[in-house]
Amino acid sequence: MKPSPPHRALKFLRWFCREDYIEEIEGDLTEVFEKQYEQSQTKARRKFTWSVIRYFRPEFIKSFKTSSSANSVAMFRHNFLLAFRQFKRYKGTFLINLVGLSSGLACALLIYLWVNDELNVDKFHEKDDRLYQVMQNFDRPNGVVTGDYTPALLAKALLSEIPEVENATLTNTIYQSNWAKGILSNKDNSINTKGILADSDYLNVFSYNLIQGDKDKVLADKNSIVISERLAKKMFNTSENIIGKALDWESEDLKKVFQVSGIFKNTPLNSTVAFDFILNYDILLDNNPESNEWYSDHAYTYLVLREGTDIRQFNDKIARFLSSKHPLRAKCTLFVQQYSKRYLHGKYENGKQVGDRIVYVRLFSIIALFILLIACINFMNLSSAQASRKMKEIGVKKAIGANRKALIIQFLSESILMSILSMMIAVLCVMLLLPQFNVITGKSLHFTLGTGDMLIMLSIVLFTGLVAGSYPAFYLSGFNPTSVLKGKPNSSLREQWVRKGLVIFQFSLSTIFIVCFLVISKQIELTQTKNLGYDQDNIISFQRHGALDVDDFEVFLSEVKNTPGVVSASNMSGNIIKQINLNVGYSWEGSTREDAEITFPSPEVNYAFIETLGIALKEGRSFSPEYSNETSKLVINEVAAKMIGFKDPIGRYVKRGSQEMQIIGVVKNFHYTSFHEIIKPVFFRFDPIGKTVLVKIKAGTERATIEHLKEIYEKFHPKNPFEFTFLDDDYQSLYEAENRVAILSKYFTIIAIIISCLGLFGLAAFTAERRTKEIGIRKILGASVFGIVRILTSDFTKTIVIAIFISLPISYFLAKNWLDNFAYRIDLQWWLFIGTGLMTLLIAWLTVGIQTIKAARINPTECLKDE
Amino acid sequence: MIEHSLGEFEELVLLMVAAHHDEAYGVLILENLEEKLGKKINISAIHVALKRMENKGFVKSRFGGITNERGGRRKKFYAITALGKRVLDNQYALRTSIYQQIPKISFS
Repeated sequence: MKPSPPHRALKFLRWFCREDYIEEIEGDLTEVFEKQYEQSQTKARRKFTWSVIRYFRPEFIKSFKTSSSANSVAMFRHNFLLAFRQFKRYKGTFLINLVGLSSGLACALLIYLWVNDELNVDKFHEKDDRLYQVMQNFDRPNGVVTGDYTPALLAKALLSEIPEVENATLTNTIYQSNWAKGILSNKDNSINTKGILADSDYLNVFSYNLIQGDKDKVLADKNSIVISERLAKKMFNTSENIIGKALDWESEDLKKVFQVSGIFKNTPLNSTVAFDFILNYDILLDNNPESNEWYSDHAYTYLVLREGTDIRQFNDKIARFLSSKHPLRAKCTLFVQQYSKRYLHGKYENGKQVGDRIVYVRLFSIIALFILLIACINFMNLSSAQASRKMKEIGVKKAIGANRKALIIQFLSESILMSILSMMIAVLCVMLLLPQFNVITGKSLHFTLGTGDMLIMLSIVLFTGLVAGSYPAFYLSGFNPTSVLKGKPNSSLREQWVRKGLVIFQFSLSTIFIVCFLVISKQIELTQTKNLGYDQDNIISFQRHGALDVDDFEVFLSEVKNTPGVVSASNMSGNIIKQINLNVGYSWEGSTREDAEITFPSPEVNYAFIETLGIALKEGRSFSPEYSNETSKLVINEVAAKMIGFKDPIGRYVKRGSQEMQIIGVVKNFHYTSFHEIIKPVFFRFDPIGKTVLVKIKAGTERATIEHLKEIYEKFHPKNPFEFTFLDDDYQSLYEAENRVAILSKYFTIIAIIISCLGLFGLAAFTAERRTKEIGIRKILGASVFGIVRILTSDFTKTIVIAIFISLPISYFLAKNWLDNFAYRIDLQWWLFIGTGLMTLLIAWLTVGIQTIKAARINPTECLKDE
Repeated sequence: MIEHSLGEFEELVLLMVAAHHDEAYGVLILENLEEKLGKKINISAIHVALKRMENKGFVKSRFGGITNERGGRRKKFYAITALGKRVLDNQYALRTSIYQQIPKISFS
């Protein structure tokens, strides 16, 4: 046994050394090595390696430029031509690949557009990286509640007391939004519009650019109004020379004349806040003195921090800022979050950041990647399965001196060509589908062939081409030319397993998609069909506006009630579906001090409210004009009754602050918000001034009745347009995100299945073709059609069954995870999974079946005659 | 005569090639030189010298037959060319002529 020189050094030498020198050098080195080996093994090895390194100099290094440019152009043309011939010759395979890849790419592209848009929301502000919003954690007995509303005094105080704060501003919160909702008019026009209240630094902090006006001055005084370009066009039909013009403002709380001090560009689509004008925040402070106190939260506070501020340190610094200002704030902790992150990461649970929109962004990115992978797998499988067709070509090429790299390049260029073609089709599809996609996602995405998009597309094409072409390229190019040319089919067990593994992967993903889709749609169905405990059909809700006093409102309401077609009408504060007023400070016999800090949903309702919504009364009575002093009465729900713990709650008292309130009725539980939240204890209080009017209309008379209501409304609210919504539509909007996911997941599931099936179809067709001789012989020997179909499908069946078994536990886990978001959710039943499994199997059988039956019915003489 | 220049080590290798006419190859040259000079030389130095001289046309080479020795690699044998011989002669003549100009003094 001859000693062999160090393997790695030798490999290195062979890699870098010039071909015409390698033989001599390697030979001489080996000879020296062998001679030294007899004296000392380690020394010989070391010497050998050292010598190899000594050869690593320009004279001995081969030129790594493989071919001259003329040659590479020729090779490129050659590869291109071969690919086209291949496409032309095997049209079926080509079509399967094209359809699969282009639909995969179209999905990926659409999702990219959406994800990109989501990621760029609120990123347009110049100081984005330093722009933070102040958030507040409230320590409550039932956990930490996080809010983004803060005292109006906070911005100024932080700016003057904390040196890291470079600039600070505030705007009104959503709870004060009615201050900036109303009617703007001049002598020509009158428009119902919505804006914000902000302090004078607002435009220095946020980049809503001014077309006219000086951003330091436009918000300086209380009589100024800064309007959007859009609003300017509507009010004055121009945006030129309108500075200083007057606009009349009328809202519920305020009547005033403002002077236009500036015009800003319309708020961009990727801004989370959209408004048409800005007023000075002091208006709110003047009219609502409570808002200027440390104990009340009336503003959102935004900070620009100095460059290089450490956020963790800063958060520590401001954490106790608020509690030092007022005793009522003892349990409040402040912290900041980057403003542009609020959109995707805005949700907090118990003081910790949780999912929110980012979950969907991640989810869809993963889906896009997987769909693309499924499409790539088709290409990989079909081209490696068809290797036998290419064997001769590869053998001949290798024999006349093509090296492995040239072959790899050939296959990769074929797959990249394929993905370029598919991308073209995908781009067309995306252009056609984008309007529809925008409707589903509620976005206004554009597809521009700009450099950014082009770059992304190019990288997607390259990625797809490389992934799809990788396996065939490295596998096919590795053939041994002698065995290929001898005609020995090179179909190893490993290769078949790789192909099966890829099919398993595809179908596992498809099954997971199906299960997820079913679970999502089942859950959505539950939200639609489950008895909510109240009736939302044929109820319209609208806001009463302006300074309508209580007496006038009573007249209005009674007129509404007397309108033909109206079953009943009532009003409440807040909104039964989206926003019920919350109260703290309730106590009752046996309640602890901590109970006083629990927030209770406690809507203030008018007579007939419970009846209008059809909430079932369990015991007692509801508010009624037959009794006096109803404002000191309470109607509670079952959960509240249980919480208070009275055995017979009717007639007992609950204290709100120092006010004794008598419980007069208990209603059955009803789902007042979305299924994400559990039903909390509700206290209904009586107060006839609530702004949301709810009207139950007799079924079938909606159109006429609404017309009548509109007349009445306009009589009482001149200038205000009658804007109403149906309660069931409001309810639907609670599940907007889920509905979108449901619709999108449906399409993506269908596409994933179609692509997987296309691949399977191609594979089945190919197998059947390869085995025609076998089928012929079997038939001659007496096999039945059914028997042959069974033989041909059994292989696929096994693969698919494995895929199903792999995917079901994964999908169970995913579905359970998603459902945990809901307080009320469907049970994951076993038949859902079994059903999905069977469905996948059925789909696979159908796909394979067409091919196999065709193959099994072949006339044996046909396929055996030519040999 | 830039292109006909010959370094000191190259000259030694060329002399070896000439001495073992048509039988000289890397390892043989290495061993003989090591023996004569009494010091270790790396084989790569020999190859560098040989390749340079081949480029200058001082030596020519041919492959030997396949054997089982040396991991199945063929030897490459070098022989001196006419040009190589002339350069060697010139070098020798130059040195001798200068040498003879040394005055006959005792250098003790």
